[in-house]
Amino acid sequence: MLAWIPFLEPMNAMQSIWYIFIIPMSLGISVVYRSLRESTYTTYWRSVALMTTQIVLGIAAIAVAIGVFVQLVIPLLN
Amino acid sequence: MPHTNKSHIEFHVSAFVLGWLFPGLGHIALGQKRRGFLVMFGILFLVFFGVLVGGIDAVDHKHDGLWFIAQVWCGPVVIAIDLLNQKLIVPLPVSQRATLVGLSHANEIGTLFIAMAGLMNFVVLLDALQAKQNHDLERRCADNTGADS
Repeated sequence: MLAWIPFLEPMNAMQSIWYIFIIPMSLGISVVYRSLRESTYTTYWRSVALMTTQIVLGIAAIAVAIGVFVQLVIPLLN
Repeated sequence: MPHTNKSHIEFHVSAFVLGWLFPGLGHIALGQKRRGFLVMFGILFLVFFGVLVGGIDAVDHKHDGLWFIAQVWCGPVVIAIDLLNQKLIVPLPVSQRATLVGLSHANEIGTLFIAMAGLMNFVVLLDALQAKQNHDLERRCADNTGADS
């Protein structure tokens, strides 16, 4: 990490926390999508925060559901 | 009264092209400056994060051709990153490339960020293609308020 050159070298130190990057990704998507859909700027950033939260929680819920299915349901089938 | 005659929809091909040349420029050219700058911020934020995490190897039209189809909708910015990758990293011997090429999640996340930026910019380009001239969010809001009263 000490000799890391940003933008030229990949951030390999993030391997263990890769799932954290769902937050900036959903934020970027929300900023673009809400700029097209929102009718007023007064609620724009609130809508961005809401959509970001919805994406993160939605994907987390899917991850939990798949985890439960793989860990608990599939062993019952054997 | 809303404009319902579909035969009168205007297509802004120049806004579509400008939006591809630089994200957000299409809406700015149509007079929707604030929306254009927000789009520009959002798309460049995703590309910035993608290159930060995955390095310039996150864009590679030779080895990640299908991803590149999604990424290239960001325009020349992504093509420039690909050219840098092809010039600086691809010709190097394997021993030197090892530290410059993203491994596992670093490469996946970087590639995905820029692909998402490209796909979002494609949505933005479709919006710019049929957007109304000078119909910024404030004006649309004022129109809605006027229609309600």
